[in-house]
Amino acid sequence: MRREQMKTPKKKAGVLCLSVLMVMAGITAAYGQSTGFTENIYPVGKLKPTDSVLKVKVGDVAPDFILPSVEGGTVFLSQYNCRKNVFISFVPAAWTPVCSDQWPGYNISKKLFDKHDATLIGITVDNIPTLYAWTRQMCNPNEKLWFPVLSDFYPHGAVASKYGVLRSDGVSERALFVINKKGIITYIDVHDINQRPFLEALAKALEAANMQ
Amino acid sequence: MRGDAIMKKRNKRLILFLVIVITAFLFGCASVPVGDECPIVADAAAKSVSADGPGFPIFELPIPGNEGEKGYLGLSGSGTFRVGQIKARVVIIEVFSFYCPHCQRSAAQINDLYRMIEGRADLKGKIKMIGIGAKNSAYEIDAYKERYHVPFPLFPDEDMEITEKLKVKGTPTFIGVKVDGKGNQKQVYFGEGGFQDNQKFLTEIIRLSGL
Repeated sequence: MRREQMKTPKKKAGVLCLSVLMVMAGITAAYGQSTGFTENIYPVGKLKPTDSVLKVKVGDVAPDFILPSVEGGTVFLSQYNCRKNVFISFVPAAWTPVCSDQWPGYNISKKLFDKHDATLIGITVDNIPTLYAWTRQMCNPNEKLWFPVLSDFYPHGAVASKYGVLRSDGVSERALFVINKKGIITYIDVHDINQRPFLEALAKALEAANMQ
Repeated sequence: MRGDAIMKKRNKRLILFLVIVITAFLFGCASVPVGDECPIVADAAAKSVSADGPGFPIFELPIPGNEGEKGYLGLSGSGTFRVGQIKARVVIIEVFSFYCPHCQRSAAQINDLYRMIEGRADLKGKIKMIGIGAKNSAYEIDAYKERYHVPFPLFPDEDMEITEKLKVKGTPTFIGVKVDGKGNQKQVYFGEGGFQDNQKFLTEIIRLSGL
């Protein structure tokens, strides 16, 4: 009798666990097919192509900066001096069109950067938690972008402002800078904010920087 | 009393187990690959059209310089061709983007679809595949092909002209076109977003095309 009483709750527990697992599996499958993140891309409409005045030019020493990284810690530009060519990609904001489909392309192009002994730094004016969520959905589950993503959130847009790519509405331009191992700016493209730059322009700029 | 103690212990274990399961579930959801930055809306639930669906638009693609790809498509010479001129009964077009994480994630699966078709004697030569890179340059197409070892021909659509003609709103999108190799072409399938099962997708294409 006692043994039977002991078995009943055990069976109940087993059924309960199995039920929970089945429900979880079902919900996960349904969630996987949702378009939740896509729907979270905020439609910004057509914007003024550029809205800032550059404060640096090709041939200048790149202004140094230190910013917090999504992966923790900080990154400063001068840490790459004499070691790597640096490609800085400013994008206007997380969860917006174009920005959201720019870095995933760079994420599968590491070979190109390696070829030209270069690294990539991504910068936006968003805060770390926002960047964390946004960049996580750019890669496979349990993976992360291979390059550091930095937050120019506080003081707001200070680095973008230093380079002259902070727009009047507080977001940065869609701007590309290549800095060679000597810390000199070799390429600037303040791109039309509504358009994604083609990869070949970047490849040429990296190649040129690496030859200097 | 001893029984109560054992029961309490078991309940604690049960609660701990459920906490672990729920936590694992929540983390799993957070990493589920869904929507993104793809130029258009990606939807995992493909929407197909019947054989009486909209007509397939006319556009020209460059004949590949690569002899292997040229041979696969049954083309010769240089210049351009239309989808209807591909030597096949059905052409599956994947509209994708180098920059689209959905497309990146499903690249291996789509390569498997190609190999599945080529491995079946009843389908090889009858169903061919091509990819069109929405807003991608030739350079980006080549980089994508190299990165994912795509075995079927890819074509750039840098100015989105073809993508717009195809009325594609998101990547990846899959389109099935019934062809006769002489220029006639009829759209039999249009699906936005990816699909989970290659076999089911292929069965649907075969059904809709009457292959």
